[in-house]
Amino acid sequence: MDTTLTRPAEAPQMRGFSREAVEALSRAKGEPDWALEARLAAWEIYDNTPLPTQRDEAWRRTSLRALKLDDVRPFGATRGLARSLDEIPAAVRAGLEEGGEGGRDLRASFEASGTTPRAGLLLQHNSSVLYHTLNEDVAAQGVIFTGLDEAVRDHPELVQRYFMTGAVPPTHDKFAALHGAFWSGGTFIYVPRNCAVELPLQSRVYADADAPAVFAHTLIVAEEGAEVVFIDEFVSPTGEGQGFSDGAVEIYTGQGAQVRYFSVQDWGRHVYHFNTQRVVAERDSTTRSLSILLGSKLTKSNVESALDGPGATSEMLGIYFGDGTQHFDQHTLQDHLKPNTTSDLLFKGVLRDRARQVFAGLIRVEPGAQKTDAYQANRNLLLSDKARVDSMPKLEIGANDVRCTHGATMGQVDRDQLFYLSSRGLERSEAERLIVEGFLDEIIQRIPLEEVRDRLHAAIQQKMGLPAREGDEG
Amino acid sequence: MPIEASPGGGTLRGESTLSTLEIKNLHAKIEDKEILRGVNLTINQGEVHAMMGVNGSGKSTLAYILMGHPAYEVTEGDILLDGESVLEMEPDERAHKGLFLAFQYPTAIPGVNVANFLRLSANAVQKARFQEANPDAEYKAPPVAEFRKRLVEKMGVLKMDRSFMARYLNEGFSGGEKKRMEILQMAMLEPKFAIMDETDSGLDIDALRIVAEGVNAQLGPGLGVLVITHYQRLLEYIKPQFVHVMINGRIVADGGPELAKELDVKGYDWVRAEFAPEEAPVAAETPALARASLGVKQSLTGRQ
Repeated sequence: MDTTLTRPAEAPQMRGFSREAVEALSRAKGEPDWALEARLAAWEIYDNTPLPTQRDEAWRRTSLRALKLDDVRPFGATRGLARSLDEIPAAVRAGLEEGGEGGRDLRASFEASGTTPRAGLLLQHNSSVLYHTLNEDVAAQGVIFTGLDEAVRDHPELVQRYFMTGAVPPTHDKFAALHGAFWSGGTFIYVPRNCAVELPLQSRVYADADAPAVFAHTLIVAEEGAEVVFIDEFVSPTGEGQGFSDGAVEIYTGQGAQVRYFSVQDWGRHVYHFNTQRVVAERDSTTRSLSILLGSKLTKSNVESALDGPGATSEMLGIYFGDGTQHFDQHTLQDHLKPNTTSDLLFKGVLRDRARQVFAGLIRVEPGAQKTDAYQANRNLLLSDKARVDSMPKLEIGANDVRCTHGATMGQVDRDQLFYLSSRGLERSEAERLIVEGFLDEIIQRIPLEEVRDRLHAAIQQKMGLPAREGDEG
Repeated sequence: MPIEASPGGGTLRGESTLSTLEIKNLHAKIEDKEILRGVNLTINQGEVHAMMGVNGSGKSTLAYILMGHPAYEVTEGDILLDGESVLEMEPDERAHKGLFLAFQYPTAIPGVNVANFLRLSANAVQKARFQEANPDAEYKAPPVAEFRKRLVEKMGVLKMDRSFMARYLNEGFSGGEKKRMEILQMAMLEPKFAIMDETDSGLDIDALRIVAEGVNAQLGPGLGVLVITHYQRLLEYIKPQFVHVMINGRIVADGGPELAKELDVKGYDWVRAEFAPEEAPVAAETPALARASLGVKQSLTGRQ
């Protein structure tokens, strides 16, 4: 898997998005004509779509006036795969190569199959995938886990069938169109019929503080009866200038398949992040997703599930923790297209300082989608008087035999809880941390991966301004 | 009037190493409502005191104020622990100094694991006490295994199943489970003074017995207790040497265990008429027993 796709290209000096930039990117990647044509078609949509303003309903509470699109470098140097982990900058692979229990030494763990805590790892640095590996036994079953650029070359029929055709087409909105024109790097996962990948697959996209735009794409195709768990991580240090990220996540859960998807977004505080994630769930399938939102300066994201076959179930969980002046605007959609479908959404978040959260959640039941069972809840805990939450649950119901419930809550830390804990000798900050972790625990408990749980606990600790500590007893 | 003192409380009193909790002319209000109107009480380590009174008399407020609840404002008077005022201390600091409040209504904290919480709490308290005693030394928390062993032992005394450890703190606990959890925390934190606010409320007789045994196992020269209760029932299990009666934010009567029994027979109207006629405009028959009054309180309890 050390085939070098393309020659290292000069880092382009161009700024701003243009048709020429699309062509230059495609050329640098050495893409086939069909891929370039798809990019250009997306570019046309982008070019013909006005930039959203606060007069648009979906953008009423999020202003893009400070975003300087003309300053964005549309892509960076295109690099090929690293020959070994040693060639990859330490920051990109931090915490993933060794240490911790369960033997996280990749080389050892993947060569000695069956002992690894994950079945595969993919590392992306800025615009380019540098490394990916997959357990041999898993690969032998026909599972594909690779960079999207390589998939364009090696699996064109699958990419052409699924990539931005159904779940997140470029017509979704202006930023999805821009993504379609400039996507770079990204993960492609294909799990064939009745194949269960027991251990999780994991990707990390690491961007430098001064990285050009990142257009990460995740495409998961789980065929009938397949099972897969995937952890998608996005991380960068905070930089001086303006960072830009525009991602898309497409998940196809085939008939009776089971997909678990975890994303952790921890971009530096200078990054504008746009993202659309959509699940297309077939008959009797189960999809469970968790979106963990920690970083960025501004995040505008869509988390959607299309329940497209009878008996399909989608669990949609979200955790967010905003501090400083972070601005999160999350729109969710539980799109019940077929009868007897179930969706269960729970987004819980904590806001401190002057952080702002907008939640707009829609349950949409198409005519004919009888026996829909949809649940939606958004719960917020505010740690300061200046933090702000707007929560707008919405229902659009076109069928008459359905069960839909929704609700939103927001509140400050309970004074009686604080008093109780501090009467037991805990400092106020520690008492608050316990209350915050307790508030999020019902979701944290549903994370089966210790690594993700630890990551989250550490982030909470850091967000609350507390020093790192040893693991709790649990 | 002599007081029957138990061997524990009586013999150790006066030793210089013993701690003292003094409540002096304490006045307090919540919002604009005055609740405590001049409370005086001294508790020595090793003593068990009972504070009796009807609902709304101010006894639970006293418990909260001793622990530093932010909703109450002390307008006059002081609370001294070994001569040092605790009024400016946060609740956690008071816990470090050796005060403990067993809540009447323990707060549920969803998502907070019992074992995890107990270890954090015990470590915080032990660390603070260690550093107070050894300002230059570095505190090292005891190993988890050691903590677990101690916890399991204390849980055994309170007949608490190990499954408690994995539950969320007080969430979905029955009344009896909550009270046992309070006494368990008291055992783990080893306070000098414990205030037990209506620990008997909501308990059936079996639970009451278990809880009382849990408290009695902790009694000794190192622990001073203030049992706050409406009824005499609890005092049959946790035996006080001193009994006080509070009406309308003041202690109006002090005595020994017999005062609680008298109260049980004659009721609070009797105390009100007898000791605080200004609080009870309705005239009542004057009973024979009249050996305590506001004026003789200090001499009655024999403490300075």
